Amino acid sequence: MRREEVLHMFPQSMRSKWEKVADQADRLQEIRLRVNVPTTVLIDNRELFVDAEGELSDRQPEDSANRAEELEAVLRHLCQYSVYAFADEIRQGFLTIQGGHRVGLAGQVILEEDNRIRNLKYIRYLNIRIAHEIRGVSDDVLPHLYGRNGQVLNTLLISPPGCGKTTMLRDIIRHLSNGTAYGRGVNVSVVDERSEIAGSYLGVAQNDVGIRTDVLDGCPKQEGMMMLIRAMAPQVLAVDELGSEGDIKALQMASCCGCKLVATIHGSSLEEVRTKKYMCNVIADGLFERYLVLTRRKGRCAVEGIYDGEGTRC
Amino acid sequence: MLKITGCLCILAGCIGWGIGRVRDERNRIRHLREMIRIIKRIQNEISYGRHTLPEICLILSEYCKTSYGECFRTIYERTKQQDGTCLEKIWEEELARSLHRTRLQEEEKEILIGLPQNLGIQEEKYQAESIGQSMDLLLRKCRQAEDAIENKSRVIFSLSILTGVFLTILLL
Repeated sequence: MRREEVLHMFPQSMRSKWEKVADQADRLQEIRLRVNVPTTVLIDNRELFVDAEGELSDRQPEDSANRAEELEAVLRHLCQYSVYAFADEIRQGFLTIQGGHRVGLAGQVILEEDNRIRNLKYIRYLNIRIAHEIRGVSDDVLPHLYGRNGQVLNTLLISPPGCGKTTMLRDIIRHLSNGTAYGRGVNVSVVDERSEIAGSYLGVAQNDVGIRTDVLDGCPKQEGMMMLIRAMAPQVLAVDELGSEGDIKALQMASCCGCKLVATIHGSSLEEVRTKKYMCNVIADGLFERYLVLTRRKGRCAVEGIYDGEGTRC
Repeated sequence: MLKITGCLCILAGCIGWGIGRVRDERNRIRHLREMIRIIKRIQNEISYGRHTLPEICLILSEYCKTSYGECFRTIYERTKQQDGTCLEKIWEEELARSLHRTRLQEEEKEILIGLPQNLGIQEEKYQAESIGQSMDLLLRKCRQAEDAIENKSRVIFSLSILTGVFLTILLL
């Protein structure tokens, strides 16, 4: 994460305020902008307030509350003055910006007649979650991702939010694609529904995802997986944040087509994932051959455990 | 002999001025048509491609063969620099510079320059429709200009010849 990337998130008129935060770009995790209250940032898991001059402090500053117009200006800038282009994402409460950073949104919801969410208006809360591309973060787990004959094993990354599962997935993809000491490089296809893995801009991956990787950007996982299997003949298929029944079914179909799978799911342990409605059968059927459980230790992301298909610690 | 040459020069000058005016008018129509084509393309890129405005500028830079292409390329390049300048401002500056050379009326220039003011709608369908209003205005202007061009040309030619004759008589 470069200093300029942080500054680029804000319109020119606000950049001087963000200079000091940008200096901490490498350690910056989150920027929270809320209307009528001061801005907070999360740096090395420590919450700090940002005052009107951009100074960081532990204490809540006076007279530095964000105004609604400022938040609107930031949002418009983040959307490249093209809010319509992000309508689907805004509807889901987030948008992904250049570099793969995710911006969470909250405000007032506009509902359709059938109670579906049509849109968000009066967006007054922004949470900018900074994506960090950390090369080599998966180096230690790589030996466990290959079978005896050098074949990639179906792997599920389990992690609570904010423990680096997308970072880990990205690095695994890069390694599998480029090839490692444990196996040759393979064709990897990525369904990047929220543009977080590859951080594509104008269809081109901004993050390094390897030389044999094809990225389907902004596509729902279920449709995307089938499209890629038909079109790109991948040896490994990678997806982030499994959730719906459709995702699981598509994953099972992909597995039947001979693809190896690398996926992530929210959860704090293998046991917890087992209790999820659509996952219990998948785990019982032994679809995945490796489970990587991530956690946060002393403020840093760490691998809590690596398990085989039966759930035995490797 | 000298007088005849002088008379012919005056007449030629006046007719030349008339031809220039008619050419300006035809150029205005050509620019209006080009602007309509641009706005139509922006509409399509918004509703079908869901491209952001900087991306649309890049597309337009290749799509437009006229000086507008260069203008949209500059807008795209400037937004890519990410110096934080508001896109509306960049658009306004560059379009104003590009349209400055044309014979379009101020009101017509304002329609394209002020296009980003119609942005900000969250749904692409309504956003495209909103931009369509600018196109309707230009279409009306263009149709009026096309309908009037023949008569206008005739009037300008007649006036220029008459002015030439009048000046010749006056100077003789």
